[in-house]
Amino acid sequence: MSGAATWWLAPLALGAALAGGVYLTAVLDRLVARAVAGVPLGVPDALVAPARGAALLLLSPPAATERPDAQSWALAPALLAAVAAAGTAAIPLGPGLAVADVPDGIVLFGAAMALVMVAVFLHGWSANSAMPLLGGYRFVAQALSYEMPLALVLIAVALPAQSLAVGDIVVAQEHIWNVVRQPLGLPIFLVTAAGLGFWGPLALPDAADVAGGTSVEAAGSALLAWRAARAAVLVAAAAMAAAAFLGGWLGPVLPGPVWMVAKTAAVLVAISAAGHLLARVRLERFVVVAWTVLIPLALVDVFASGILAL
Amino acid sequence: MTLEGLLVVAAALFGVGVYGALSQQTFVMIMMGLELMINGAILAAVALWAMSAGGTPKGQLLAVVAMTVMAVEAAVGFALIVGVYRVRKADMTEKLKRLRG
Amino acid sequence: MSRSLLVDLAFYILSAGAVVSAWLVFRTDSMVRAAYWLLVSFVAVGGVLVLLSAEFLGLVLVLMMAGEMTIMAVFMVMFMMNPAGLNPMTMVHQHRAAVGAGLVAFAGLAGVGLVADFPDRAAPSDAPATAELGTELLGDSMLVFETAGVTLLATMIGAIAIASRRGRYGDADAGSLPPELEAPAPKARA
Repeated sequence: MSGAATWWLAPLALGAALAGGVYLTAVLDRLVARAVAGVPLGVPDALVAPARGAALLLLSPPAATERPDAQSWALAPALLAAVAAAGTAAIPLGPGLAVADVPDGIVLFGAAMALVMVAVFLHGWSANSAMPLLGGYRFVAQALSYEMPLALVLIAVALPAQSLAVGDIVVAQEHIWNVVRQPLGLPIFLVTAAGLGFWGPLALPDAADVAGGTSVEAAGSALLAWRAARAAVLVAAAAMAAAAFLGGWLGPVLPGPVWMVAKTAAVLVAISAAGHLLARVRLERFVVVAWTVLIPLALVDVFASGILAL
Repeated sequence: MTLEGLLVVAAALFGVGVYGALSQQTFVMIMMGLELMINGAILAAVALWAMSAGGTPKGQLLAVVAMTVMAVEAAVGFALIVGVYRVRKADMTEKLKRLRG
Repeated sequence: MSRSLLVDLAFYILSAGAVVSAWLVFRTDSMVRAAYWLLVSFVAVGGVLVLLSAEFLGLVLVLMMAGEMTIMAVFMVMFMMNPAGLNPMTMVHQHRAAVGAGLVAFAGLAGVGLVADFPDRAAPSDAPATAELGTELLGDSMLVFETAGVTLLATMIGAIAIASRRGRYGDADAGSLPPELEAPAPKARA
């Protein structure tokens, strides 16, 4: 907790960090796409392209549907962004450098990520249109499938630290990172992170086969807000992966926050690359895999970590 | 924030829940009323834990038990809704005059 | 502003939000809105729990309810023959009696809360509430915890059995009645 005079700094810092993360995600995704396609990277262009795209969306007119639930429709992107911010608040950038360094940080993250389902379903339903509603239904099925493995692997990282605080979990990785100690954890977490941010192979609620899913009817600034909020969720998940499995701020020579940002960026690149390299999976297949493969594997992860932590 | 204030809020939540459970016709809405009642119960349990029981962990345990009750209520409620709908095509209490079979 | 004043302010806002959104659950026409107003009520109560330094319980309440309310919304839309859930609906019965019962319940419970003399022993503000809860769950009260776990398991099995389409006597939507349980034919009056 900071002093009374600077309490307003925390939300400001959080907003700035998330905005930076969202922009970084957009740039990285573009670079990864070019690398995968084998065309020249064009770094300067990739750096300004997201701003150009955002300006284009800001200038384009909003769209309307017949009798939408307008308030819920406007609320959904804001809710998604707020939920991403709440999840990020628990993750420290350096020792003690978290907006909300609460003793139950993992639970705060889990609760925030559970609300992602609410925001996406609300976005799909409130437009009063068929394809968005289909996207919303898809996300409910998807979210119910990835939520259990997500919670289980996060419980597993809390076991060796004997604490639910994210800072303590990072400190507990001083000698050996959780990615080595719990080899099952990071892969499962990355799958659930892609599901959480409905990104890449799991971009089902906003997929092309439902004409763009929950965001079909959104246009202009509403669409920009939705995409930015979605990227913010992905940033939150990537930061959590960096803190929980890759040792967070721990690293030689460079200061802690730099390591944290670098690791988060690496996770973002990995998820983005999965999006450009792998085909979109079918939802029913993902649901079956999640319940019959991911959950048992995550349970094995929890039991093994528990025995190791004893 | 006083104990009395917390208990009055819990009572208000419970009262709204009673109204909902008794007045609604749709099964799902009745379940919402039940959940609101448990919501009030959880609030009262934690309020008494924090303000009156000196922070003994048993108070939190009571809230955990209430949450379990809520989960059981939701699961059984949804299952019954599905089961009744499959057999009777009923989604409202008035369509369900006969409970047998 | 002092800390206790901020806590008081947050408490008033959250509790007003909890009660008002609970009321709106039964006043709104839209099923999805009804489910999500209930979620707002739960999130507000979760906030109050956090104020009471039961952070774990508050957060778990939000975690549980986010999923459950979305499922409720989906169920409402599925069963109410109202595809997007945007049409008006007011479906109540025994309205006056229900309002009366709600008021009586509120008055009785609030009266108990106001009149009864509860011991005034506040929890120590620096106690590690989550750790204490964990020790309690896996220590003295393990039997309670295990019973809750087994109850949940039994609930899962029972719920799947009830909701399953395939029954012992055929598919549920085709009747699934055992032969001897068929509705008796009306007897001719002698």
